[in-house]
Amino acid sequence: MMAVGASHYDFDRFGIIFRGSPRQSDCLIVAGTVTKKMAPIIRRVYDQIPEPRYVVAMGSCACTGGIFRTYSTVQGCGTFLPVDVYVPGCPPRPETLLEGMMKLQEKMRKEQARWSPWR
Amino acid sequence: MEQVEKIFETRELNVNMGPQHPATHGVLRLVLDMDGETIARVTPYIGYLHRGIEKLGESLSYFQALPLTDRMDYVSSMSNNIGYVVAVEKLFGIEAPERAKFIRTIVGEMSRISNHLLWLATHALDIGAMTVFLYCFREREWILELFEMICGARLTVTYPRVGGVRNDVPQEFLDSLYQFTEEFPSRILEYETLIDQNRIWLKRTVGIGVISAEEAVNWGLTGPTLRGSGVPYDVRKHAPYDAYDKVDFEVPIGTEGDTYDRYRCRMLEMRQSNKIIRQCIEKLPPGPVMADAPKFTLQPKDKMMPITHPTQEHAFFIVEKACKGCGMCLRACPAKAIFGEKKKPHTIKQELCLGCATCYVTCKFKAMTIVPGGKGLSDEKLAELAATPLPEEIAKASEYLVKHFEFIRRGPKVPDGEIYVATEVPKGELGFYFVSDGTGKPYRMRVRAPSFVHAGVLPRLSVGHLVADVIAVIGTIDIVLGECDR
Amino acid sequence: MAVVEVRISLPYKGMDPTEIAEKIKEKFPDEVVDVTNFRDQVSVIVKKDRIVDICRYLHNDPLLLFDHLQDLCGVDYHGKKDPRFEVVYNLYSIRHHHKIRVRAQVPENDPNIRTVTSIWAGANWHERECFDMFGIVFKGHPDLRRILLPEDWEGYPLRKDYPLKGPEPEKDWHGFIEVLNRSKELKEFEWEE
Repeated sequence: MMAVGASHYDFDRFGIIFRGSPRQSDCLIVAGTVTKKMAPIIRRVYDQIPEPRYVVAMGSCACTGGIFRTYSTVQGCGTFLPVDVYVPGCPPRPETLLEGMMKLQEKMRKEQARWSPWR
Repeated sequence: MEQVEKIFETRELNVNMGPQHPATHGVLRLVLDMDGETIARVTPYIGYLHRGIEKLGESLSYFQALPLTDRMDYVSSMSNNIGYVVAVEKLFGIEAPERAKFIRTIVGEMSRISNHLLWLATHALDIGAMTVFLYCFREREWILELFEMICGARLTVTYPRVGGVRNDVPQEFLDSLYQFTEEFPSRILEYETLIDQNRIWLKRTVGIGVISAEEAVNWGLTGPTLRGSGVPYDVRKHAPYDAYDKVDFEVPIGTEGDTYDRYRCRMLEMRQSNKIIRQCIEKLPPGPVMADAPKFTLQPKDKMMPITHPTQEHAFFIVEKACKGCGMCLRACPAKAIFGEKKKPHTIKQELCLGCATCYVTCKFKAMTIVPGGKGLSDEKLAELAATPLPEEIAKASEYLVKHFEFIRRGPKVPDGEIYVATEVPKGELGFYFVSDGTGKPYRMRVRAPSFVHAGVLPRLSVGHLVADVIAVIGTIDIVLGECDR
Repeated sequence: MAVVEVRISLPYKGMDPTEIAEKIKEKFPDEVVDVTNFRDQVSVIVKKDRIVDICRYLHNDPLLLFDHLQDLCGVDYHGKKDPRFEVVYNLYSIRHHHKIRVRAQVPENDPNIRTVTSIWAGANWHERECFDMFGIVFKGHPDLRRILLPEDWEGYPLRKDYPLKGPEPEKDWHGFIEVLNRSKELKEFEWEE
């Protein structure tokens, strides 16, 4: 993900900037393995993002638990978060993540009334 | 007077630098007890990335547990693999050929440069120098492209294997790498001009996180974190492995034990790694890249090619007379293409069959046959063709396939015993402690991660400094939470 | 502020590990149970009662000087050997370049052993991890609580009778069950496609 933010595969030209606080952001990228100790914290950060908000699960471990079928790993962050885009790979290439963000942008363009008060 | 003092009574301020934070490298949680802005006590909480790798390693064979080690320190995964492979080779009692040792040294040093570049990028970014981040990633992209050239993966390579390396290096890799070693010293000079004598950098790193030599050794520090305090301990010199005793290099040692000395140690280490890579390319001997020990290493797969890469599509067929109905193939089939009840002969539905041969290797009663060129034929035709004997190359390939499958799953026959081998990864000393009980799976696989030990010294280094210095200290001890938590 | 590049050369090899084992046997004859040697790595198996004295002797004696505690871990020999647990200390001497391994046997019905944090401060977190994974209590430890798993987790994962996939979903850690329940409650406010 850091390589995507650097100058070779630039994230900035797609209009995507990394922010330090959940209150100021639109999208949450869950990268890496999710453990049971970390799950409540991710849920709390997600709840702090103001709507409209999106979640991208990056990497095999965030999508489905990956190769770690153990006592402390959550089998995918989709069990407790509503995920919009799954980006597979271990680790995903920078181009894959860029394509995932572009698919998210397409999804955002197509949706209607998803964040309206009457849902 | 006491009334006034009571109103202005100050308490310690508790601040939680939570696991999700842009400046902690990964999921590290710190609870800071501060007296104003000065730190009184720091309590680190780790374990937010604990995946149970040690327990998982006990249920996989030695060959299958190799990709797990990639994902511990995901920044320099070649070094982790080399550490694991050197330990397992010592346990088995085999030795890699000379060419493989030199190649492993080359990629180990490349991963050291890659790790130090990432360390510099994030450390400088946290302290405030944002240009260095972009400069360092420019070099890192070159190294990751070179990794992709030899093994196909940028970050989690599984290139060093037990007994050598996976495949030989192409010539364009060596040419491009030589070009890299010629240009790299000038790039390091660029980074140094940006921050080395910069007043802000000096103010933020000189005198921060000081630890003396005896205390550093007592706390178990290793790697550049220890060498910044003046202790000449480098596993590459004390217990050389691979080709480190055949190349000539120096080890930078600091004097003060503060952040600035550790920074200078790592910058000089990058130059030394450059030197080592040049020498290795010049001295690279010809020869095989995998040890000739068929009982302990995975042999190349070309003998299985007639089945795994067939020229025509093969079909797999269960011979009714020989099938006992035990159900093992039914459970093993990934496409769920086998049907049948217990104790009755099973059948394969040819439309769903992937041709992966898992059922073939699982059947103990030899009830499965391969019909060459039989994909798409009806069941009766297959039954006819199955009665004819197999062509010789397919028969030999199928025997080899079964043996190879069992070897990967069961693992080699290892002597009883225990071993601890340490290697020098960019962050410090990575140690693997194996206890083997004679089977092909480790009875106990223990990983001594340098980041775990360094994270423990964080409270000692940051007491008495200001909040902003905690960020500098986290950067200088160079932790990666994947390795710390395993 | 100077950082110099030195050429490290090791002038002499250090003591042979079997000699070090002999020295330990001479000094503590009742404690040593066995000495094993595998691929030139010697381990000394001792009883757990005087482990602090043995470690202090190894740390302070001028000919041995084991100042670097490379690793401290636990091993569970469930069903294979009688004292079920072992705490393994891998030691190295930076000055004299020799190494030794000390294994202290810890029985199952009384899984506690004295801490060595007074000799090597780096043993602090290693012992916490050993407690977290095996349940071996270190007497005298300044702050013995779980480090890698959540503090109220039940069970000791690296024991051989703990399942790899973890506890059943109903008996899982309460923090995770709370997260799942909360996300189920909040799901009605999300868009259904």
